[in-house]
Amino acid sequence: MRAHGAGAEDPVSTEMVHAIIDDIGALLLFTMILIVAAGQVYRAIYAVAAQSLLIAIAGGVLAAATGNIDLWVIAGITLVVKAIVLPSVLHWVVRRMNVRREVEPVIPIAATLALAVVIVVMSFHLSASLGTVRQAITGNALPVGIALTLTGVLVMATRMTALTQMVGLFASENGIFFTAMAVTQGMPLIIEIGVILDVILAALVMTIMVLRVRSTVDADIADLDRLRG
Amino acid sequence: MMSGEISVVIVLLDMALLVLIGPLVTGIIQKIKARLQCRQGAGVLQPYRDIRKLLRKGTVQADTASGFFRSIPVLVLAATVAAGALVPVMRAAPPVFPMGDAIMLLGLLALARFLTALGALDAGGAFGGMGASREMTIAPLVEPVLMMVVFSTALAAGTTELGALAAHRGTSWILSWRAADFLGFAAMLVLLPAETGRIPVDNPDTHLELTMLHEGMLLEHSGPGLGCMLLASHARQIVTLGLVSALFFPFGPTESAGAMGLLLGAGAFAVKILVLAGFLALVESSYAKLRLFRVPQYLGVGFVCALTALALRIL
Amino acid sequence: MAETLLWVLPLVPTATALLMLTTRDRRILSALDIGGSTVLLALTLVLVRGVASGGPRTFGVFRVDDLGLVFLLLLVVCTLAVSIYTVGWLKQAVAVGNMKGESLRSYFVLVHAFVATMVVTVLADNLGVLWIAMEGTTITSAVLIGYHGHHHGLEAAWKYIIVTTIGISFGLFGTVLIYAAAADVHAGAGAMSWSAIMAVAPRLDPGIVRIGFIFVMVGYGTKAGLAPMHLWLPDAHSQAPTPVSALLSGVLIKCALLGIIRFQTIASAACGSKFPAEVLLVFGLTSIVVATPFILAQHDLKRLLGYHSVEHVGIVALGLGFGGPVGTYGALLHVMNHGITKALAFFAAGTAIARYGSRDMRIIRGLLAVAPVGATLLMFAALSLAGVPPFSIFVSELLVLRAGIGQGHFVAIAIFLAMVVIIFAGLLHHAGAMAFGQPAATAGREAEAPSPLLGMLLLAAIMLLLGLTIPASFDGLLRRATEVIVG
Repeated sequence: MRAHGAGAEDPVSTEMVHAIIDDIGALLLFTMILIVAAGQVYRAIYAVAAQSLLIAIAGGVLAAATGNIDLWVIAGITLVVKAIVLPSVLHWVVRRMNVRREVEPVIPIAATLALAVVIVVMSFHLSASLGTVRQAITGNALPVGIALTLTGVLVMATRMTALTQMVGLFASENGIFFTAMAVTQGMPLIIEIGVILDVILAALVMTIMVLRVRSTVDADIADLDRLRG
Repeated sequence: MMSGEISVVIVLLDMALLVLIGPLVTGIIQKIKARLQCRQGAGVLQPYRDIRKLLRKGTVQADTASGFFRSIPVLVLAATVAAGALVPVMRAAPPVFPMGDAIMLLGLLALARFLTALGALDAGGAFGGMGASREMTIAPLVEPVLMMVVFSTALAAGTTELGALAAHRGTSWILSWRAADFLGFAAMLVLLPAETGRIPVDNPDTHLELTMLHEGMLLEHSGPGLGCMLLASHARQIVTLGLVSALFFPFGPTESAGAMGLLLGAGAFAVKILVLAGFLALVESSYAKLRLFRVPQYLGVGFVCALTALALRIL
Repeated sequence: MAETLLWVLPLVPTATALLMLTTRDRRILSALDIGGSTVLLALTLVLVRGVASGGPRTFGVFRVDDLGLVFLLLLVVCTLAVSIYTVGWLKQAVAVGNMKGESLRSYFVLVHAFVATMVVTVLADNLGVLWIAMEGTTITSAVLIGYHGHHHGLEAAWKYIIVTTIGISFGLFGTVLIYAAAADVHAGAGAMSWSAIMAVAPRLDPGIVRIGFIFVMVGYGTKAGLAPMHLWLPDAHSQAPTPVSALLSGVLIKCALLGIIRFQTIASAACGSKFPAEVLLVFGLTSIVVATPFILAQHDLKRLLGYHSVEHVGIVALGLGFGGPVGTYGALLHVMNHGITKALAFFAAGTAIARYGSRDMRIIRGLLAVAPVGATLLMFAALSLAGVPPFSIFVSELLVLRAGIGQGHFVAIAIFLAMVVIIFAGLLHHAGAMAFGQPAATAGREAEAPSPLLGMLLLAAIMLLLGLTIPASFDGLLRRATEVIVG
């Protein structure tokens, strides 16, 4: 499957990489469950930071295994941007807004958790039904990625505060990144950097909107619901 | 190959050891907590002193209580201690003399819980009834999750006998962990405070009616009966911790081994229990007790983790 | 020459935006705006000529083929019309305080950044670049939608950015899956480029391509405004400043459609054309059916036009789903026609709204008496949107219909026709009530400003021209673009 360099000895065996990626996938699912279950915005932010850290570690492992320099760069950027900078920004916004620390679910958190389980089971079922092409993606990265993406969307759809919706967005993006890293060689560096840049810009614009609505109408932007029909 | 008698002796030795060091673990947790809160704290032997004191006292019983009430502490202690016999302490191999499996263990713990609640209701006190009803609200959330964690591990090994599970995993545990084990372990960490009656689910240090679950059920007991109940709850705690270590960190001689091997296994067991006790103390010191209505949500995390672990194993 | 143009084209709006940073004067900004758009149009025409003679060109991650040119033409024409319209619109908006004089610069800069990202989506060959540019359009246009800074605008902008970002995440996932399938066959750096994937498409694993296509369909479908992912569209299109509404409705959702078409061709080659066609049919019909009741019951003029976009995107999806040369040709023509007509409709609606100070169609009455030219253009746009003969949309709808009958999709055709007839009646009712009758006393009676009229007349002329006859050069372009899709 993977194109090996001629005669180059892999520092880590393929089975080992599969096992590690699977393990990281399980931990990612755990952080996702924490995000879904978080009753307070702070907890969700810490969980998503931990999730990004795991993604960065997965990138590092895959980089070491394939000897792909691009993956090192991507892992580094993920670490700095998604595990450190973005969570800090979110944290700063929570502190600055100084109110509304609860995530305010639309449906009970327990129900969201149940839906999350359905999503996880479905994702694994779906990717188990795929044929040989699973080999193109390391280990369980495909079902874990699908589960993370869909659960992130679930969080965005079922929370009423803007910041929690942003956390859901980051989690969703993490799922895509995880799968993308595990695709044979990872996506081209330039594309990954572009994607991360987009995520940063989107987060920036969202933060500005949240603060602007808070300062003008003193409400959470996600609460506005006058546009109907 | 050990003869049958010796293996029975070892199992009984395990069991006695567990019951005896149970209060010590509680004492250690209290000590760590105290130090984390910058207090001196009572000595680690304090739980033993409490029990000794209680055993010497007389018994006072509510007028409304039936004759059955008196036998409750003994039955609870018996069920818990019997559960202790199923936990592999010094070995990581199936016992030569099988007495039961993990399901049996959980069943015995559930029986002890049931008897405790029954006793609390029998005494007719308001707090006892309240504690029992709360305990019985939490129990159906905790027990299925424990079952699922056990099953997710058992599926891989093809057995529910704890010793055989431990043997299947081998002693290189953390390296051989599969994805499902991480989630199962996470579920277990979430459940531990609930199963051992600690913050954030219960508070073992207080008798305030707003906070208590387990302690509420003990209010009507006194003297030696209360001593038995306390000993049972210490034993229950160490049995649960032993279950975790058997499921996830088995260590010890797999085949018949001499005294040296058994000692090594016992030492490793002590270290594992100490680490888990430290974890419990840390959680207790850093979190506040949850409102009762928030507890199902908290346990839901464990439930989802366990279910996902199970799904990972099957799919 | 053509290769050079490929990287120069996205730079033109970027350079325009950068130049705009040097001044705050409204007249200079407007001049730069029109200048930049004109240069863009001129360069595009050169590119069209180049491709017509020399075939598709590739430069790095960019590629231009006839398919992309159709969308590029729509983009540059609408951009120029928007620039011309903006001059007069802005004067009025500043006068009534809708736009603040000191923040005009950021508005113009954002519009051109928005155009630049759209140019990149149209020219992208690399599917990753396509996605990045698509997300770029979301970010730039979200700021523009909330530009007025009031309550409703920010609400619409938030809804827009959240819903489309969720959607576009699905798109990225689909892209990753298709990339995985391609990397499996074609290990190498080119595995993300559309043209490289097309070369190996028949060998891709159908299972993963199918899942990938569904993800992409949901993802880019959100951006295109296909129901049921259209929730953001009526809000965003109604709350944005009018020129931005025209760009969103006329061009942006078409760019997303181009993304869908790119993946459709891959999916058709990898797992047969039946599967993507069915997915497109389902989404197309759903959009048409869902939009109809909202169009009938609507009182807000700009929301009405927003829901109308949902319907027309549905028609394009339907045409692509019917497939074959006729259906695909019809769909591409409809992209062009609807883009031009919808931009015109938003312009005309914007001037009418400014005149009455309300978006409520029950207040906009007797427009013909106070603004004859604007009212006529609004009527033209409405008639065209409803699918009345001399106008262009009639032609493309007819082609889609014929393709459907030719392929034997009679149920779909029946639903489609029923909805079109209902919408026809509803739209004419709304338009007739606005144009005729006694104007309210509150209606502004000042003379019609020349620049908005000029922008509208430009679009109306194209609309009429395409309705009466399709020029041979444009016809050739559409035919070659159809060949790219149908193969």
